[in-house]
Amino acid sequence: MSGDSASAIQRSQVDLVDFIDWSGVECLNQSTSHSLPNALKQGYREDDGLNLESDADEQLLIYIPFTQVIKLHSLLIKGPEEEGPKTVKLYSNKENMGFGNVNDFPPSDTAVLSPDSLKGKPIVLKYVKFQNVRSLTIFIEDNHSGSDITKVQKIALFGTTVETTDMKGLKKIEDH
Amino acid sequence: MVLEATMICIDNSEWMRNGDYAPSRFQAQADAVNLICGAKTQSNPENTVGILTMAGKGVRVLVTPTSDLGKILACMHGLEIGGEMNLASGIQVAQLALKHRQNKKQQQRIIVFCGSPIKHEKKLIEMIGRKLKKNSVALDIINFGEQDDGKIEKLEALLAAVNNNDTSHIVHVPTGSSALSDVLINTPIFTGDGEGGSGFAAAAAAAAAGGLSGFDFGVDPNLDPELALALRVSMEEERARQEAAAKKATEEAAKQEKGEGQPSGTQDAMMTERANVATSEVDNKANDLMDDENALLQQALAMSMDDPDSGHETRDTDMSDAAADDPELALALQLSVQDGTKDSSSQSDLSKLLADQSFVSSILASLPGVDPNDPSVKNLLDSIQSQTESQQKNEEKEPKEDEK
Repeated sequence: MSGDSASAIQRSQVDLVDFIDWSGVECLNQSTSHSLPNALKQGYREDDGLNLESDADEQLLIYIPFTQVIKLHSLLIKGPEEEGPKTVKLYSNKENMGFGNVNDFPPSDTAVLSPDSLKGKPIVLKYVKFQNVRSLTIFIEDNHSGSDITKVQKIALFGTTVETTDMKGLKKIEDH
Repeated sequence: MVLEATMICIDNSEWMRNGDYAPSRFQAQADAVNLICGAKTQSNPENTVGILTMAGKGVRVLVTPTSDLGKILACMHGLEIGGEMNLASGIQVAQLALKHRQNKKQQQRIIVFCGSPIKHEKKLIEMIGRKLKKNSVALDIINFGEQDDGKIEKLEALLAAVNNNDTSHIVHVPTGSSALSDVLINTPIFTGDGEGGSGFAAAAAAAAAGGLSGFDFGVDPNLDPELALALRVSMEEERARQEAAAKKATEEAAKQEKGEGQPSGTQDAMMTERANVATSEVDNKANDLMDDENALLQQALAMSMDDPDSGHETRDTDMSDAAADDPELALALQLSVQDGTKDSSSQSDLSKLLADQSFVSSILASLPGVDPNDPSVKNLLDSIQSQTESQQKNEEKEPKEDEK
């Protein structure tokens, strides 16, 4: 099973970090010193010392828009064994969510992370639910230890892009 | 210039009838609200402000966040005072109103006026604060009016729970002569988290701080720079002139003590009279005139008539004697000579004036020691008169001859 998922990643899925629209990325209830880029950005997320931490309580709400439409295949979350996230709910194409309305509609997918997954194993998602994703909202509901602070070391998304037109690549056709 | 949506929570409970903030607590609150709305909408045109009341029959939203200042101010009319303030519900409803704001890019802020006792438990207040922080809502608390035990403690706990990177503030406004609005203007609630303040806030602060005395001449240099400049220049000119006159007066007093330079003293006396400074100097001169009355007067008048320059020369000799004694005096004398040279142009005017019989007699009359009816004085005046008449005749003759 894990072999399949690993090969699936190797086959066609790419790391979607290049397609994240950084101007619209938001994270609610993050601590100011330990913010989202620590877990999401290319160089920072490899550093296990740099974490995303929650502030007032253990929940986190992360909003990630993309520069183009993608299909989301799998998700990778790395965190410490104790304070790492446990229940993670994903919502596709829902803008401006708050903690108040996370329970208003069902998530596109839910993942319960084992301590094993927290070491950096990708979790395969319900691919059919993520065929046409413009933005992704990740709701971290609780953590393993039950403490007030949730720590996340790395968040990585894998998938493919839909064949949308790259406007920059458009060139005027010369009339013969 | 932060893009912000603000909800203002007004306390319109019974406690607001109290008059310890002029004219009443409620009115002071209303003024402050008006100022805040103005400041917010001015600092960024896309900012929105909404208002809700916390007391009365229940928490009621008067206007949802809008950038229309007129609508906001209009809803402040006809507010009734009554009931008890419900802080928890008020803040929660404000949070909900902000959640449904039209422009999701705006930062969320709640401003609470807390003028009556808080009936909630501290734990509940803290929980509300944490919820606000979780949803990245900033909170400004204005504590005024009733100060019961525990109120300040609860509000400080609320601030600690909400505060994220100093975006939230609390202001305690004690009762006193200054209005609620004036106290608020200098706080970060108006100046916007140390950005340096919007122009509105700064101008309002300047105007409020010293009434109009904030500006030198009651004229705002921003509004009318030319007028302010003209006023300032004329003030300085007047001051310089008065200083020069004062210096001359002191120089006169110094010479007075030395008992010399009488004729120049009289001359100066006449000039300073016209300059409207120290008629007491004239009195001093008059006393001395009593001693060598006629001779000195004659000398003075003769000098002013005949040769302005010789008068200066005599003065110079007198002064050089004096100057040897006292360097300070020398300086003063020098200044007066400069003034004197300036005045030489006016000598001709002086002689004309002296020729005017009535003017001379009026001056002499003002000198206490001199009696115009004194025959010797009269003779003197007649001689002057004839002199001037002959002078005028000569002048008339000359042009006639020229014509020929």
